[in-house]
Amino acid sequence: MKLTAILFFATVLSVQAQVPAKLQTKLDAQANEVESKVIEWRRHFHQYPELSNRETKTGEYIAAYLKSLGLEVQHPVAKTGVVAILRTGKQGPVIGLRADIDALPVTERNSLPFASKEKVIYNGQETGVMHACGHDSHTAILMGVATVLVKNKAELKGTIKFFFQPAEEGAPVGEEGGAALMIKEGVLENPKVDVVFGMHISSMTPLGMITYRPGGLLAASDTYSITVHGRQAHGSAPWMGVDPIVISAQIINGLQTIISRQSELTKEAAVITVGRIQSGIRENIIPEEAFMAGTIRTLDTDMQEKIHEKIKLTATKIAESAGATADVVIRRGYPVTYNDPALTEKMAPSLERAAGKEKTLRIHASTGAEDFSFFQQKVPGLFFFVGALPPGQDPAKAPSHHTPDFMIDEKGFITGIKAMLNVTTDYMFMPAK
Amino acid sequence: MKKITLSLFLLMQGFMIRAQSNQPLQSKLDQQAKEIEPKLIEWRRYFHANPELSNRETKTGARIAEQLRALGMEVQYPVAKTGVVGILKGGKPGPVVGLRADIDALPVTERNSLPYASKVKDSFNGMETGVMHACGHDGHMSILLGVAEILSKNRNELKGTVKFIFQPAEEGAPPGEEGGAYLMIKEGVLENPKVDVMFGLHLQSLVPLGTLAYKPEGLMAAVDNVNIMVIGRGAHGATPWDSIDPIVIGSQIVLGLQTIVSRQTELTKAAAVITIGSMHAGIRRNIIPETATLEGTIRTFDADMQQKVHDKIRTTAVNIAQSSGATAEVEIVKLYPVTFNDPLLTRKMAPSLERVVGKENAKVVAPVTMAEDFSFFQQKVPGLFFFVGAYPANMKLTAQPTHHTADFMIDEGCLVIGVRSLLALTTDYMNQTQLPKTK
Repeated sequence: MKLTAILFFATVLSVQAQVPAKLQTKLDAQANEVESKVIEWRRHFHQYPELSNRETKTGEYIAAYLKSLGLEVQHPVAKTGVVAILRTGKQGPVIGLRADIDALPVTERNSLPFASKEKVIYNGQETGVMHACGHDSHTAILMGVATVLVKNKAELKGTIKFFFQPAEEGAPVGEEGGAALMIKEGVLENPKVDVVFGMHISSMTPLGMITYRPGGLLAASDTYSITVHGRQAHGSAPWMGVDPIVISAQIINGLQTIISRQSELTKEAAVITVGRIQSGIRENIIPEEAFMAGTIRTLDTDMQEKIHEKIKLTATKIAESAGATADVVIRRGYPVTYNDPALTEKMAPSLERAAGKEKTLRIHASTGAEDFSFFQQKVPGLFFFVGALPPGQDPAKAPSHHTPDFMIDEKGFITGIKAMLNVTTDYMFMPAK
Repeated sequence: MKKITLSLFLLMQGFMIRAQSNQPLQSKLDQQAKEIEPKLIEWRRYFHANPELSNRETKTGARIAEQLRALGMEVQYPVAKTGVVGILKGGKPGPVVGLRADIDALPVTERNSLPYASKVKDSFNGMETGVMHACGHDGHMSILLGVAEILSKNRNELKGTVKFIFQPAEEGAPPGEEGGAYLMIKEGVLENPKVDVMFGLHLQSLVPLGTLAYKPEGLMAAVDNVNIMVIGRGAHGATPWDSIDPIVIGSQIVLGLQTIVSRQTELTKAAAVITIGSMHAGIRRNIIPETATLEGTIRTFDADMQQKVHDKIRTTAVNIAQSSGATAEVEIVKLYPVTFNDPLLTRKMAPSLERVVGKENAKVVAPVTMAEDFSFFQQKVPGLFFFVGAYPANMKLTAQPTHHTADFMIDEGCLVIGVRSLLALTTDYMNQTQLPKTK
């Protein structure tokens, strides 16, 4: 039984590039030609970063360029985003390619000539703005991919939709934004998208490497809050009250056993973090309430549901065990960035052709989150990482994303461009279902 | 308001009611107590060398019965398996005073070189063990026999009746057997004639010789057993997600139970203790078992608090179990009640204790979390239980072995103090019966 499965697996792996060899050679050559422009665009975006839902100039810049390519451009979409459609006029699938375009409230700390000098007020505080997660490179790479594909329109099939998505890092409080808003505004319709591809540059993955994983690649990120309602008393007379602090401590321990004892960790990892606990005002008053908030990271939708239920049960019952009550509110954030397993197997050779087989690795899941997952909730999708760690640097010491020292090696872009071109054209030329 | 007036009144009255000591009789009794000291020591050493386990005090009981009969009093034997009751009717009318001594020894192997050290061996819970009077009951018997002998000599002057209650199995009857104070009461020792008041004492190796220690209200704890069965679901140790792990849940319950004492119990009113003394689950390191069993002891000093603690133990265990998808079954077995010294009686009798050792040596002490089945008598009639200091004068307190250990030791000088205390309490109580009875 198992052997059969392995045989089936082998068949899948033997699926080779679907794009005609001649076209492939041409695309590779054009990818190399566009590389310098991609670097130039990236430096421009890097120098002029804009925060989530505020990517006005970025969006305009992208829209203007895509229009200059002769593409059908929708702008603005989802506040500041851009959608461009390349119709080949020939029968074929509708492929969505996505790049995120927003920057972060981080003050850049390096001496690059194109380092950001932007400043804004964020949550009431002045801060620098920086493309500290590499979205500048995503945007530039996708512009490069569009450039190459437009040139070869006559030899392509189907339709390609380019999504330049704002606010991946999260819309400001009270605003909608990001992938969810793009979908709400209909980007997956007219024409209806069949498949979606996306990538993320990674400062901690060696240059030239592509990493991916079938199933959950990045975690679902949900937040929860628990309010423990006790009864207030003087700190010297705990028996007069119901102590929400001690009960919360028990709840925190209990929540950890949901992971350690109640979750199938071989299926997927899961994390429950209590990131915040607030209670009380003075050392000798037992407060009436305690408030806890945290984040839940899961890599599987089923587990996500179960963990939500268990959090509610654990908190309410432990509270009741000491005479208190607990209110649990769980807010869903980004879903699991879930790479459709069949699609992933099918597209793995395309990635391998871009980076070389030995530099295309299956990796473990990461507990970070990505709103590309909203697209994947609607259509099968594949999300992967493209390495940009400068050579000679220890990956363990590379400045991580979202920090002032974040740095990527632009030589990694070419792998990204080729990978996006490969998955697009291979998918396009695959026999219809 | 009403309450305050009432308690003030009672308090005043309490202070005014002095134990009525009959000076000439008292001097005579004290003198006779001194004279009898060599016999006290001899008897105590006999009992010490011949200890017998709870409900197995056959030779002990027979010897006591024989000795009481020789004093010419009415003897009931055996009572509650191996116990003895002697009834001494005084020459004058008056109340019925119960005096109690416990007579059983412990499965402890004595470790010292006393010439009268116990060499006795017995089987306990299927294991061979030495047997030792490691709690001082040998002294209690000797004291009460001394009191019996002296009061017999002075019976014509006694205003009332004394019941000498030699009680087996204070340490607890073997599994499946009844025994101890509870069984004596069930067999009617407090009736015919009806006992009005109970006095009892315990030698205390941690209290200095020459000190009497007591306290009104809860002196020793109520002891109850708690058994908790956590019912989870078994699984391979490698896949806890297939299980409901009773060990982790049991641990959470152990911690939760501690917060009943630390956060939910009015500790200024009285102390309380919940100890989980045994937690058993599983058979092998890589099998998550189906159930976990927690066994513990609960110590409380107040009947109300005892009930609340019991309720909270149930709520805590059941809900914590449910918080992880398990269930918990909680069983609480009530054992000994609080050793509760009737406050009015205690106040009334304090001067008697003070007279024996001097006011500065009759001390009101903090309660102890050990338990004592004298409490069953106190549930029925007002009673006073107190400690008689017995730690050897030549020993450092820090070096002093505690009760129930192989090195336990008392200074025999405590015996005569015990005799004088019981004589004083008995005769003083009899001398003030013209006053309204307590309770």
